[in-house]
Amino acid sequence: MSDHDSPKAHRPEGASEPHPGHPFMAHHFNTPGQQAGAAKFGMWVFLATEILMFSGLFLAYFIVRMNYPDMVLAAHEHLNKTAGGINTVVLITSSLTMALAVRAAQTGNQKAILRNLLLTIAFAFTFMVVKYFEYSAKFAHGMLPGKYYHAWDHGYLIEGHPHIFFAVYFCMTGLHGIHVLIGIGVLAWIYVRASKGHFGPRYYTPVENVGLYWHLVDLIWIFLFPLLYLVR
Amino acid sequence: MADNETHLYLHGKPVEGFDECHEHISPMSIYYKVFGALLVLTGLTYAVSYMSLGPASLPVAMVVAVAKATLVCMFFMHLKYDDRYHVFVFLSTLIFVAIFFTFTIFDLQSRAKINEEQGTFFRDQYDREAPPPPTLPEGVELAEH
Repeated sequence: MSDHDSPKAHRPEGASEPHPGHPFMAHHFNTPGQQAGAAKFGMWVFLATEILMFSGLFLAYFIVRMNYPDMVLAAHEHLNKTAGGINTVVLITSSLTMALAVRAAQTGNQKAILRNLLLTIAFAFTFMVVKYFEYSAKFAHGMLPGKYYHAWDHGYLIEGHPHIFFAVYFCMTGLHGIHVLIGIGVLAWIYVRASKGHFGPRYYTPVENVGLYWHLVDLIWIFLFPLLYLVR
Repeated sequence: MADNETHLYLHGKPVEGFDECHEHISPMSIYYKVFGALLVLTGLTYAVSYMSLGPASLPVAMVVAVAKATLVCMFFMHLKYDDRYHVFVFLSTLIFVAIFFTFTIFDLQSRAKINEEQGTFFRDQYDREAPPPPTLPEGVELAEH
């Protein structure tokens, strides 16, 4: 099995390195800075599309809140504020460890890159475990989106149209949760590459771009948490 | 490296050290300070939701969230030290989100009046009755939350 991330993976047998001393630099770039800049600009454009995608769900939330303020107020009381608060702290801490992992790559501290990436992955799993318990409670109480809503069978009476609130809740936290899962995947990929010693002060673009993605996941939760769990 | 020394010329002058990291490296203390500030602001969000601020609670919560987002963007995502073009890409996204929100909410709030002016009515608003209050099925007791 060939090593896909190896610098030699895409080069014909016998061909020399396009940029001696820079194994991960593609031949069509002039300087490492140019390559890093292009990759980072691409990442920011991707993050822009992510923000636009989530903005549709945020707008849906505001429309529901505008049309049914009393129902949103009554329904949100059934969300677990403690679990949401714990998850906020977990994500903020994971953002810190991610930022420290990027800094460790910039300074070339190999041990610190691995340690901080591992901590970030651990916090991401913690987030998903808390989310699992929250979702299980909602499923058990019949607080499901749209036509699946049947909380009255479990003794919960919420006036108005609570099935709309829970549709918004599951769409927003669900899409965010998918992003956390993808984040775990790319963090694991970065961890494997870091353990091979690919990253250092001269090349750390993947660590930085995965870091940007992870901070965006944190940013979205910073807005989701007060809107869904703490509305008054 | 010494054998195949690469040279880069910009405007006819050699550029020194172009293959090194020129990114700004923040000191560790900045990261810990930002982390502390984010925790304090999270506590503030929590506290604000328990003060009954009424209609002011949403704007206050949003201001705190924007402050947290700004800290994350500037220091964790390095936008403060980064290429200004990345800041432009990020902020232009927010402008498009603002256009999206403003026009949709403007439409939703002014639609009823326009419909009334031009005599359009919808069947579900014609002789609509209030939805019945929710009731428990037989044999189910009211739960506490």
